[in-house]
Amino acid sequence: MNSLDPRVVRLPQAGEVKPKKSLDQFGTFEVFVQAKEGKPFQHEGAVHSPNLEMAYLLAKETFTRRFTCVSIYVVDTRDVFVSPITEGNQSAYELISKDGEEDDKGAFEIYHLPKRGKQHVHVGTVEANSSRDAMYRAKDLFGAGKIIYNVWAIEQDKIRFTSAEEKDLWNTLPEKKFRDASDYKGGDKLKEFLEKLKT
Amino acid sequence: MNNEAVKELLYKIADDLLILGHRNSEWTGFGPLLEEDIAFSSMAQDKIGQSYAVYQMLNELGEQAPDTVAFTRSANQFHNCQLVELPNGEYDFSLIRHFLFDTADALRWEMLTQSSYEPLSLLAKKIKGELRYHTMHANTWIKQLGSATQESISRLQHSLEGAMPYALGIFEESPFEKEIIAEGIFAGEQELKKRWQLKIESVIGQTQLHLPDFKIAVPILGGRIGKHSEHLQPLLDEMSEVFKIDPTAEW
Repeated sequence: MNSLDPRVVRLPQAGEVKPKKSLDQFGTFEVFVQAKEGKPFQHEGAVHSPNLEMAYLLAKETFTRRFTCVSIYVVDTRDVFVSPITEGNQSAYELISKDGEEDDKGAFEIYHLPKRGKQHVHVGTVEANSSRDAMYRAKDLFGAGKIIYNVWAIEQDKIRFTSAEEKDLWNTLPEKKFRDASDYKGGDKLKEFLEKLKT
Repeated sequence: MNNEAVKELLYKIADDLLILGHRNSEWTGFGPLLEEDIAFSSMAQDKIGQSYAVYQMLNELGEQAPDTVAFTRSANQFHNCQLVELPNGEYDFSLIRHFLFDTADALRWEMLTQSSYEPLSLLAKKIKGELRYHTMHANTWIKQLGSATQESISRLQHSLEGAMPYALGIFEESPFEKEIIAEGIFAGEQELKKRWQLKIESVIGQTQLHLPDFKIAVPILGGRIGKHSEHLQPLLDEMSEVFKIDPTAEW
C-alpha cells in the first residue's frame, strides 16, 4: 500500500509486526554569536544539522546574515548542560551542590540567564572535573551576589569555534543593508502614497 | 593598460556571477532545509553584489551603467560560461555546479589579489571572506553527501559527470590572454584551470565519488563569445521583467 498520508504509512499492515521507525529529522545544535570584539558571546538559537561542521555552516547564515558579527560557535544541544531554572529571588546556583565525580575533566564555558525570557550570555571559562563541578566552581567566580535564573556549562572540546583566519567571513556584512527591512523605508513610502491619495 | 583586454576579463567575471546568482536565487523558498535555503539565498545575493561591483568598474571604463548592462543585453551579448546558465535541475546538480564553479571563482579572485589593475585587486581582497564561506559551504556539502547514502552518492556522481564538460568551459581562453598575463592583470585561464583541478581532486578524493578524466572530457565552449544554450534568454527575460516595464522603478 502506497499512501502519502503518514498516518497510513506508519501503521503496520494487518498481521504484521514491525519495529518502531526512528524519526527522519536531524538533531539540533546550539548557536552562540559575538556581535562585536570585546562583547560576550550570546546564545541566539538552534539549527538542525547532521553534524557539527555542517551546523557551523548553517548557523552562519541563519543567525548572522544581518547586523554585525565577529565570531560564532556551535555545539551539539546534547553537550549543553543545564542547571535547574529558578524564579523570584532564588539563584540557580543555590541548587547546585558539590560534585565529587571526575568524569569530564577540562575547560567549560559558563553561560548565565540574568533575566527570564532573555538570552543566555557568556560570563567566563572554568577548569573543572565535570559539568556540575564547573557550575559549582562558577558560582564563586561569576555568580556571587547575583540572581541568576539558569546556568549552562559547555565543555570547550565539544565546540566548533571560529578560527582566527575565518574571522573575515563577516567582513562585508555591515554593507548588506539590503537585508534590513528598515533599509527599504516601507513606512515612508506608505506615508508618501497616502499623502498623494489625499490630494 | 589594454582597456579592451581588461573589459573582456571584467565582463566574463561579472556575467558569470550575475547569471549564477540569479539561478541560485531561484531556490529561495524551495531549499531542502530551512537553514540551507537561507544559506544558498545569501550566497546568491553575494554573487549579485559582486557582479554589481564589477559592472561598476566597467562603468568607470566607459561602459553603460550596471542596471543597463545587466537588464538590456540579449543572450548573445553575455560572456558567461554555459555552466552557470543551465537550469537548476535537482539539488544535486545545483550543489555540484556550486562546487565546480565556486572553487574556480575563489581561485580566480585569489589570483586577482595580485592583479596590476588596482580596482580588481582591491575588490578581490574585500570579498575574500564571502568567497571563503562559499567554498566552505560547497566543500562541506560535497564531502557530506558524497559519502552519505547510496542515493546521495549516485545522484552527485551523475551530476558531476553531466556538469564536467560545462565546468571546463569556465576556462575558455580570451583573445587577449597574452596581454592580460603580460601586463600582470590576471595569470590566465590555463593557470587557473591547473589550480582548480588540484582543488577539485582533493575534495572529491575525500568522498566516494569518482572524478571523470579531465583529459577525456570535452569542454563546452562558446559562452565567452556570446554562444549560449537555449536556457539563457528565458532567464534574462525573467530577470529583466520589472526593469522593462519601468526602468526607473525602485524596490
